Amino acid sequence: MIRVQNITKTFIRNKNKKQKEEFYADYDITFEAREGEIIGILGPNGAGKTTLLRMIAGILEPTKGKITFDKMDYKNNEIEIKQKIAYLSGNTKLYDTLSTYELLKMCCDIYGLSEKESKKRIVEITNILKMEQFLYNKIANLSTGQTQKVNVARCLVHNPQYYILDEATTGLDIISSQVILNFIKEERKKGKTILYSTHYMEEAENICDRVIMINKGKVIKIGTPTEIKKDTKTTNLRDAFFEIIGGVSNEE
Amino acid sequence: MKSNLWNILKKELRELFRDKKSLAMMLIIPIFIPFLIIGMSALFESQSNMSIEEYNKIGFAYEMSDIEKNIAEEMHIEIINGPEDKIKQKFEENEINLYIVKNDNKYIINSNGSDTSVYSMELIEEYYNAYKQYLQNDYLQQNNINSDKILNIITIEKNIIEEDNFFANYIKNYAFLFIIMAITVSATYPATDTTAGERERGTLETLLTFPIKSKDIIVGKFLGVTVSSIITGIISLILAIISLIVTKDLFSIYEGINIMFSPISIVFSTIVIIAYSFFISGLCIAIASTSKTFKEAQSALTPLTFISFFPGMIAFMMGITTTPILSVIPFLNFTLIFTDITNGTINFINIFLMAISTIIYIIIVFTYIIKQYKSEKVLFAK
Repeated sequence: MIRVQNITKTFIRNKNKKQKEEFYADYDITFEAREGEIIGILGPNGAGKTTLLRMIAGILEPTKGKITFDKMDYKNNEIEIKQKIAYLSGNTKLYDTLSTYELLKMCCDIYGLSEKESKKRIVEITNILKMEQFLYNKIANLSTGQTQKVNVARCLVHNPQYYILDEATTGLDIISSQVILNFIKEERKKGKTILYSTHYMEEAENICDRVIMINKGKVIKIGTPTEIKKDTKTTNLRDAFFEIIGGVSNEE
Repeated sequence: MKSNLWNILKKELRELFRDKKSLAMMLIIPIFIPFLIIGMSALFESQSNMSIEEYNKIGFAYEMSDIEKNIAEEMHIEIINGPEDKIKQKFEENEINLYIVKNDNKYIINSNGSDTSVYSMELIEEYYNAYKQYLQNDYLQQNNINSDKILNIITIEKNIIEEDNFFANYIKNYAFLFIIMAITVSATYPATDTTAGERERGTLETLLTFPIKSKDIIVGKFLGVTVSSIITGIISLILAIISLIVTKDLFSIYEGINIMFSPISIVFSTIVIIAYSFFISGLCIAIASTSKTFKEAQSALTPLTFISFFPGMIAFMMGITTTPILSVIPFLNFTLIFTDITNGTINFINIFLMAISTIIYIIIVFTYIIKQYKSEKVLFAK
């Protein structure tokens, strides 16, 4: 179980040419993600979704609050937690000079898999994601969809318990997006915990068990898609989202 | 779980050896060393062996006596006589090397400071010394004074105990200084690529989600850059030695100079190269890691190439030699000790001080880099 308790993150930004100011990227966020659950993180641009997921992935340190994975926290168990998580973002880039096989092998080595385990795991993942055709091609030469498949593959090598997916389908065509959505559903069936941030409301409505809506760094709604639609008296999550957020982007 | 340092180093080396620009920096820069040595040798050779016909055309903008003409002819000076304006025009058209204007007993030598005019100036000064001596001698004889006693009141004899070949030493010192510069240039590109480049490409975020300690990431990157620098340094050293051995037989400026390198000199030269590679790689990573973009990192690292070169160059110009204090001053210590070794002097105390101070500098740099890698401003700055 992932437990996020009263997480706050502040950054310093330029107020004007001379002055700087502190601002809250995330403020007092609390929620839990249980085994076999997909939690959707929704919000407009600049709402604080990426910062929140980066803190959960251990890339950023919270200013206040605590994040635990089965009672382990980053302060005392950073390596153990990172052994159990996989982080995939729409911005995640791979090493262009490596081939798909070399990248997966590198990930296996980093996660401490033996030679035998590595070979077996790479064959398994290649079959699941249908990557045989470009397994030995350099990543620089792959299409966007193929690259995203490799990205998913590198998340799978160590069979993680927790997935942190930040706008993982952004910029992908419908077929490539479906690969990722199918993968998420499959992993849920195996009892994995998945945090999934997206701009696509239909996607969230289809696959998420619960949804957390964030705006200006604060949680403004938590619930199942059905509960949220009921509360907002709307028929779909898109309309519910506009009803709650008010239709104004934070970047405006 | 075992350390991931080896995995990171393997990744860094693989990227380094597959990247054409990194390879070019690593392997092509040393190739300039033979060109530098051969080019400088040829240049100095041509200057030291300049034929008198190339600089003996002297314009005299005044009427010369027979005595003056005789002295000039004896010294193989080609006399060009004429009025000042015509002589000046010939000088401007490079038909003559310099010209002299006379005002009563004052002779004004007009020159342009070119390489040949330096030789012409030397020749004409010798000529006027001879002419002055003739006039002094003539005056004393007319007044019945023993000119020999007056003019040769003291005698000077030159005795060169040890021949110091300026040109050869100059080339040798600069060749080894260029090795230091080549190592610096070789370290800057991979250091930029592995820090600011990795951040700009978006792969740093991926790396940070892996179960790897920050220390292992930093040390892996540092060792990758160091390997690149050491390869450049070793290739440069080999090429410098081969070039000097080859040019020794080709050019007369190397006469009287011993350019054979003993195995011990080569071993200690390699130690200096390794120490400098560690030092400069750490420094390059520290500077590049503070930069937000690849371009910014490159701009920040460019002055380092000059900083690595100038202390040594100034030391050569001022004739500074290695002392225990200078052995701990970064950049200068490597150049001075390197020069000592290649000149056959191995001072163990100075080498030890250089090694110890380098280790201290690397620890300071490391502390700084680890702090940088924990800074979110650096990791996610756009």
